[in-house]
Amino acid sequence: MGGPTASLHPLSRADGSASYRCPATGSNVLGSVNAPIELPGRRDALKPEDATIEVFVKPGTAPGGVGERHIEGILRDALSRIILGREKGYPRRGVVITLAIVGGDSIGRGASYLPILPALLHTSILALLSASVPLSMSISATILAVDSSGKIIREPSSADAAATASLHVLAFTSKGHLLLNESEGAFNFDTWERVYERALTICHGTSALGSDGDVAMTETVDSQPLEGLVRDTVEDRIHVEYAWKIDAA
Amino acid sequence: MASSAAVSTAPPALSLPPSQFARLQPHAYLLAHLSPPASSQQPSIRANGRAPSQFRVTSTNTGSLTHTNGSSVVRLGDTTAVCGIKAEILHTEDIASWSVSHSSSSSTPNKRRKLTNPTEKPGEDRQDGSDEVEDDDSYIEDFSLLVPNLSLSTGCAPGFIPGAPPSALAQSLSHRVLSLLHSSRLVRSEDLEIWYQRPNLGPEELERHNEDEQMDVDVEQDGSGSVGETREIKAFWVLYIDIMIISLAGNPFDAAWTAVLAALRDTKLPRAWWHADNETVICSDLVSEARRLSLRGLPVASSFRVFEADAASGWRAVIVPDAEEERKIAESDRKGIQRRWVLADPDGYEEGLAQERVCLVIDKDQRQNGKVVIVKMEKNGGFAVDRKELKELVAVSAQRWEEINKILGQC
Amino acid sequence: MTDRRRINGPPGGTRPPVFASSIKPTTVAAERPQRQRQPNELRKIFLKTGLIPSASGSSYLEFEPSASLSAARASPQSVIPPSSSLKLACTVHGPKPLARSATFSPNLVLTTHVKYAPFAARQRKGHIRDASERDLGVHLETALRGAIVAERWPKSGLDITITVLEAEDDRWWADAPDSHDAAWGMMNVLAGCITAASAAIADARIDCLDLVAGGVAAVVADETAERGVSAPRLMLDTDPADHRSTLSACVVAYMPARDEITELWLKGDISKASVGIDDKNLTHEALIDGAVDAARGAHSVLAEAVRESAERFAGLSSGKST
Repeated sequence: MGGPTASLHPLSRADGSASYRCPATGSNVLGSVNAPIELPGRRDALKPEDATIEVFVKPGTAPGGVGERHIEGILRDALSRIILGREKGYPRRGVVITLAIVGGDSIGRGASYLPILPALLHTSILALLSASVPLSMSISATILAVDSSGKIIREPSSADAAATASLHVLAFTSKGHLLLNESEGAFNFDTWERVYERALTICHGTSALGSDGDVAMTETVDSQPLEGLVRDTVEDRIHVEYAWKIDAA
Repeated sequence: MASSAAVSTAPPALSLPPSQFARLQPHAYLLAHLSPPASSQQPSIRANGRAPSQFRVTSTNTGSLTHTNGSSVVRLGDTTAVCGIKAEILHTEDIASWSVSHSSSSSTPNKRRKLTNPTEKPGEDRQDGSDEVEDDDSYIEDFSLLVPNLSLSTGCAPGFIPGAPPSALAQSLSHRVLSLLHSSRLVRSEDLEIWYQRPNLGPEELERHNEDEQMDVDVEQDGSGSVGETREIKAFWVLYIDIMIISLAGNPFDAAWTAVLAALRDTKLPRAWWHADNETVICSDLVSEARRLSLRGLPVASSFRVFEADAASGWRAVIVPDAEEERKIAESDRKGIQRRWVLADPDGYEEGLAQERVCLVIDKDQRQNGKVVIVKMEKNGGFAVDRKELKELVAVSAQRWEEINKILGQC
Repeated sequence: MTDRRRINGPPGGTRPPVFASSIKPTTVAAERPQRQRQPNELRKIFLKTGLIPSASGSSYLEFEPSASLSAARASPQSVIPPSSSLKLACTVHGPKPLARSATFSPNLVLTTHVKYAPFAARQRKGHIRDASERDLGVHLETALRGAIVAERWPKSGLDITITVLEAEDDRWWADAPDSHDAAWGMMNVLAGCITAASAAIADARIDCLDLVAGGVAAVVADETAERGVSAPRLMLDTDPADHRSTLSACVVAYMPARDEITELWLKGDISKASVGIDDKNLTHEALIDGAVDAARGAHSVLAEAVRESAERFAGLSSGKST
């Protein structure tokens, strides 16, 4: 099982874009960000001192539905907290994030959006970075499933996710805050706390919690923490874009 | 900043009535209520007079709408939701994906149930028996047997244009209701199935079922294994669950979900059977033969918002502290000034001021001494609520469960 | 047809349940409800204002359930309700500035919107307004426009929204549709809408010439034990489910203080000899007069509700000043 892969700026016309693929959950998302842009005809709705953030999610195969509106709301609430919409040039303007679900299973009527949520979050944060939108922090997210015996499964495939007792998506900021949690299915709080520890390790590696030796070791052995993925992707891009400068030096 | 200027000019000297102040400086107004000056000895209270973890007065009324199978009116303070459930019939012949495989395997879940507790009466069976057997509820999701829709275009609040297509909020709420109905597995598939028993030509069989050789799901066949093979699902009940938010003053989800819950508890489905001659499903109109749905548990939703003293804290990057530092600050809060308040059941005014939201749906397992089971836990849009806070909120929601359980028990 | 903004049911469609008694009407339910009121006796109306605080004005209206319905409620035997009673909620938002794109208007622009809840009638209603709901909206607007002093709010809009939670039947459920058939229940709904909207407008402190009230009268024929269908009679505030057939019905929006009708809607034909009416007094004039009488009755309830609203408002404002 390979880790997730991402690339920056696959689209040339958008202000910023990113593509993200997670083989474990089978999700593949392409995102673009346009910011800051004028939002015509919505002068009344614009906040005077803040940017207006709009998120659009386009499913790959099925026609869109109410589920997309719900997930758009979740993404908007999470991202509006880390986008610095009051920076110069942003108030009364729009940050428009469009996310297209390219591959993976289509999500049925009333079905859970959780399996695709981490990929959507990662894509948007990378696309925002690519568009140089000012952010207060970066985020990383993961999905964990708990089966009926209480075993935690990391990044389950959609078939696994359907069979488990509960599903949890947690997103942490780069400073370790829990920004978003979406859990569904029957579970108790102790289970969730174990999920939380594990998710924190997946997103931040061992540094964030030293005591939990066992779990942390395995996480770091088979893959890097997810936070590093965002950093590496951006670093790679910088290496490519500043190759002339680095070479010259 | 403007807000601090307003606070300093607002004192009684300037005769600005509180209602005007609340409109002009909503954030400062709520903050002033929540953090009264230490000298005043006043408790921290919300602008609406509630304590931070206090819910609004909730009342429900069920069964008042004539043309529904089940209905409810829920008032959560000034938010009112009306839910009506109408049941219609979906014939299996109208299901494109209803294949031979389905009809041949359809008798399995029923047989399985019989195997586990062959001696119990069907009623008891519903009460406790079938939870052990993992029922196959995939029918509900696969064939769209639950159709909840929430409408805000009822003039419930200014800003929702009547007649316009559902707003993003209404769509999102509809989706949350449906997704919670699915994930909590509240409605049982078996309650919605309409069975057909092929007439067995044995003479005693004819005698026993004098209803024109008709069968339905309610009539338990006492262990006669040979007839089990000839049973098949002919149709399903489809529940159209429509929620009209008549008045919106914050927290629509809790009101809508409570209304759905109350309406489902009130829902009665008539006895239905397959009429072989007419090739259709016929229902009995006798109330005595209609039966209630047997719901799985009672998942109760509680929503919260987090109000922050510093409205622009998400803005200035440099001041966002580390999660670790944050915890230390939180510790110092215990002694000194509080910066964040978790407000239960926010009203419309508070929702406009607080970005971070938490929604918990919990149930208590009656068989395990009321052990708290979390069915859904959502938290989004801020940094204030972390592990410790969520644990406290689960406790608050558990209390709320008792309240709602009592309220729903009364109607 | 799938609506992407709503949650859709099964793609193959569903059918409303068919009851055994509608095939073989032998069971308890198959007894036609009887009108227990005198011909000029109105149903009680429950009308309350100010239940929806986020609106400028609001009202909730409910008709007293008929004798058959309350009997069925008390000791339910059949799952098929014998009749239903009107329940509706009305909100008024405004006066508010017109949309930027709207053209100049020297008067208050009235927008009325009547929508049935999907569960309001025996047959499930769609989410999008159908022709009859639009029709009701237009009738309601006509009724109210004559009462509101529109010149007082130039460049302003007033939105009136009515959600019908439970509608009246057009006929008894077990009757087959016949030649006299029309949407009779709709007329009762309109009368209710007019009364409720009037209360909500008063609750929103919009200046009106008078409180406009709605009333319905109809010429109906009943079954009698002796000789089949009886001679047509004029009755006020009819419930279509109570009668064998409705020949004609009339709904008016009436302002008692000015003795003015702002809206009149008459359906059916009683002038023809073919109907077999020998009563010379049974004219359209009599029908309209009957509807006006019904409206007078509704007006007394309306006046009481508005008085309560005014008292509440006075209490609020005096509370504020102290």
